[in-house]
Amino acid sequence: MITRPQSLALVLKRLHHLGKELDKAELQNAQESTRLFGDGSHLDSMGLVTLIADLEEDIYRECGARVTLADEKAMSRLTSPFRRVNLLADYIHEVVNAR
Amino acid sequence: MPTAIITGSSAGIGKATTLKLLNAGWRVHGFTRQLDGAAHANYIPHQVDVTNESAVQNAVAAILSNEQSIDLLINNAGTASMNALLLTPGSVAENLMRVNYLGAFYCIQAVGKQMVRQRQGRIINITTVAVPLALEGEAAYVASKAALDALTHVAAKELSPHGIVVAGLGFGPIPTQLTRAVNAAKLAELNQSIGRTNGTAVDEAADFIFEAIRQKNLEAGSIHYLGKI
Repeated sequence: MITRPQSLALVLKRLHHLGKELDKAELQNAQESTRLFGDGSHLDSMGLVTLIADLEEDIYRECGARVTLADEKAMSRLTSPFRRVNLLADYIHEVVNAR
Repeated sequence: MPTAIITGSSAGIGKATTLKLLNAGWRVHGFTRQLDGAAHANYIPHQVDVTNESAVQNAVAAILSNEQSIDLLINNAGTASMNALLLTPGSVAENLMRVNYLGAFYCIQAVGKQMVRQRQGRIINITTVAVPLALEGEAAYVASKAALDALTHVAAKELSPHGIVVAGLGFGPIPTQLTRAVNAAKLAELNQSIGRTNGTAVDEAADFIFEAIRQKNLEAGSIHYLGKI
């Protein structure tokens, strides 16, 4: 189980680390409305892959759940969960608690 | 201790390469259909059908519950079928694609994520001279390995920014279960054409793989062949 505030905290913490690694202040100071992928975003495809791989491990360490974030369910959504921070936090909350 | 996963580790090139890595101080997790392979304290076999995506994911997750990192993945598991194109059953072609291509695809996905987290790793896909030679009588097999080679090229481009090197190593016919049904004269002709008159022994192939790992000089996206291509 994971709460919505916990899933948001995981995303923001991971973005902070990734922002440092990529030297991108926008990611270090990300908020719920920060765009992740797509037009006007701060991540390229390599950054998105890194974020998802790291987050899947963070989720496992935080709540013991092995989840795949980039699965068919995520890809088939009209609104991608990878578009903004709040959508990703919602999706993690949903996926972990659906297990 | 560096850690490797080798698919198809119970026999042939997979087993011989496993032994060389074990003797060089590696810990090797083997993906096999039966729980067998090298008898060594640092060899851990896992019963995994590489064509089963969730089985691959579960096995990698189990390994990561005990390992800090996975430094090397060798996609060696493979199957072969020699037959004229028009006489090859569709089910045979489908199975070749599932084992030779999809099996490697699933393993790269599962292990690749961990390597992205580590920001380093090496992936070696075992391929064949039959692809560049476009060998007749092996259409379905060649197509499946060509798909694997294409995967090698694209994976190398996508993963090299993450510090992961993906490359292929290819061989001519090797006396294993895969070639036991092939006509001896045909094998001799093929070996002659790639400059390996005496063929390629399992141990020679394993040496070729081991040296590529030891020297750490594999170029991302490259495919090296043991023989003249």
